[in-house]
Amino acid sequence: MSGFFLLQGASAAMRHPAIIAIAVFYFIVVSTIGIWATRRTKNASDYFVAGQGIGIVTLAIAAMASTLSGFAFIGGPGLVYTVGTGAVFLVLSASITNTMGAWVLAKRMRLLGEARGLITVPDAIAARFRSPAAQGLSATSILVAVVGYMATNFLALGLVIDAMFGTGLTLGIWLAMLVTLSYTVAGGILAGVYTDLFEGMVKTVASVTVFYFVLKAGGGMAGISRAITAVDSTFLGPWGKMPALAALSLFFVFGLGSLGQPHVAHKFYMLKDPRKLKWYPLLMSVAMALTLLLYVGVGLAMRALTATGTIAPLVRADDATPAFVLGFTPSVVAGIVFAGVIAAGMSTVNSFMNIGAAALTHDLPRAFGRRVGNELRWGRIWTLALSLAAVIVAQLSGTLVAFLGIFGYGLFAATLVPSLAIGLNWQGATREGAVASIATGLGLTLVLETLAYFKVFSLPTGVTVSGLALLLSLLVFFAVSWFTRARAASQLDADIRLVMEV
Amino acid sequence: MITRLALSFLFLSCTAIAGAYVLAFLPGGAPPWAAWGLALGSAGALSSMMALGATRGGKLRPIALVACVLTFLVVGGAFSLALILPANEGKDAVIVLGFPLRTAIVLYGVGIVPILFLPAMYAASFDADTLSDDDLERVRRAGQERGA
Repeated sequence: MSGFFLLQGASAAMRHPAIIAIAVFYFIVVSTIGIWATRRTKNASDYFVAGQGIGIVTLAIAAMASTLSGFAFIGGPGLVYTVGTGAVFLVLSASITNTMGAWVLAKRMRLLGEARGLITVPDAIAARFRSPAAQGLSATSILVAVVGYMATNFLALGLVIDAMFGTGLTLGIWLAMLVTLSYTVAGGILAGVYTDLFEGMVKTVASVTVFYFVLKAGGGMAGISRAITAVDSTFLGPWGKMPALAALSLFFVFGLGSLGQPHVAHKFYMLKDPRKLKWYPLLMSVAMALTLLLYVGVGLAMRALTATGTIAPLVRADDATPAFVLGFTPSVVAGIVFAGVIAAGMSTVNSFMNIGAAALTHDLPRAFGRRVGNELRWGRIWTLALSLAAVIVAQLSGTLVAFLGIFGYGLFAATLVPSLAIGLNWQGATREGAVASIATGLGLTLVLETLAYFKVFSLPTGVTVSGLALLLSLLVFFAVSWFTRARAASQLDADIRLVMEV
Repeated sequence: MITRLALSFLFLSCTAIAGAYVLAFLPGGAPPWAAWGLALGSAGALSSMMALGATRGGKLRPIALVACVLTFLVVGGAFSLALILPANEGKDAVIVLGFPLRTAIVLYGVGIVPILFLPAMYAASFDADTLSDDDLERVRRAGQERGA
């Protein structure tokens, strides 16, 4: 996140006519999709699950787009530049998680949509365990993480817009919110999914193109490696400059934690033909691999270029991507990359706007035994309210915003993986286990992250709050389900049992 | 039976990771061998979770079984080699496929090799073992009966 602050320094170079023209073209396309989707959004099902009418290619690319936020283009390469290959452990599991997600979640979620017409992730947990408490707790976790994620991305987008158009940060944040809000509040997830499709394609093209220039500037991957190993004997080690325990801990959290990301799991409801899931792992894995080339390549290339003295060491690590594209690629490519950065932020934000609004409109009222009369109207109202809340948070101090953004992934993982991913595949899991694990994940993440933020307490090297919270949440889920196992069979409805058995 | 086995393996993987974390709290930090708990525990957690999801009616069909075992061997094997092989990422590093040897094993072994077999195995087993037209029809019927 902090990486976006450097963009203010690069703003003069970013105001090149080609870069601005591509950014303007990007906004026009997104607005056009928003208008088209608004005309097709007639009810809550259209608004929250695109009327269960999207194709598999759209699903896969939209899921990829919302998974890879602006961090994949700015913060990630900066981290690679700083700690070397250790930073790659955040994304290394992507080769496995898409197939794992397809086997563990995709079919079950889509069939739940078919059998029950469910529209949210907490809906699935509630249906599985017949538990309004589990639905309410999981919706609360989603809300807490969503506001932080949205604020972080609004701030990032505001900085990019300011750097490109000279709007000033405050106006940049508000413009970012208004553009994203305009198509999300009107066209709901239908607009979100199709803009995600476009944004995903922009990201992939940007990543592959930049990787070509990475190889060209560094003399191929071997040339980059030789330049780095000549001056640093740990940077290109298997764990980079991190202890092995820390790198492997990232692999665990981002690997298993991928099963608890609601903005991805939620998209499985939207697929028109469930049988097309056959191609989901292939499409998603290829799209992710191509889009992550920039993440891995730019940080390594910039380290090699500093090692050979071609460029001066970066003042801030997160300068890596902007400095590389402005210095080593043509303006058109730089324009596509900065459009890709905007795309990354907006596609992530619109997904969170939608699941956050669904939590407020749908899940929390149901957890308290109530139903909202007009979910479409209230969905739009809550989308607007959440966006305003996130913009206000985005304008608070940078460290607080960064803090809120950091624990989102871990919070989702610790609260949703046991009850959702294991719960949908193990008939012996119990409601008590689900509630206890969600409460454990939520409580531990909030308490430990807050204590760490205020420097009251810190974990030893190699242990992260997200890793510890995910692990304890899993163990609590197993333990409580085991102690209450006598009740498991009576907590399953016949249609849910069928969904779990096919 | 298979579900229980997958869950046991998942639980065992979690305890291996928990063991590594507990060792990190020791005075002086975790000993170097603590990383084995996370290396094998992470590989085991992902493979067993995949097996849990791929199990149908208490059975894990051959293609899915091979996919899960292969994932554990490839990921666990790559991490193990990185932990076993001597460090040589300095001036005299042997560069393989663009990276020093141990790094190439991890980046290609964990980051690329699974893409070469997992999506293909999933697609190959989909019609027979994952979701057939008949399965879909049964779920739709159950949904309609519940709604009626």
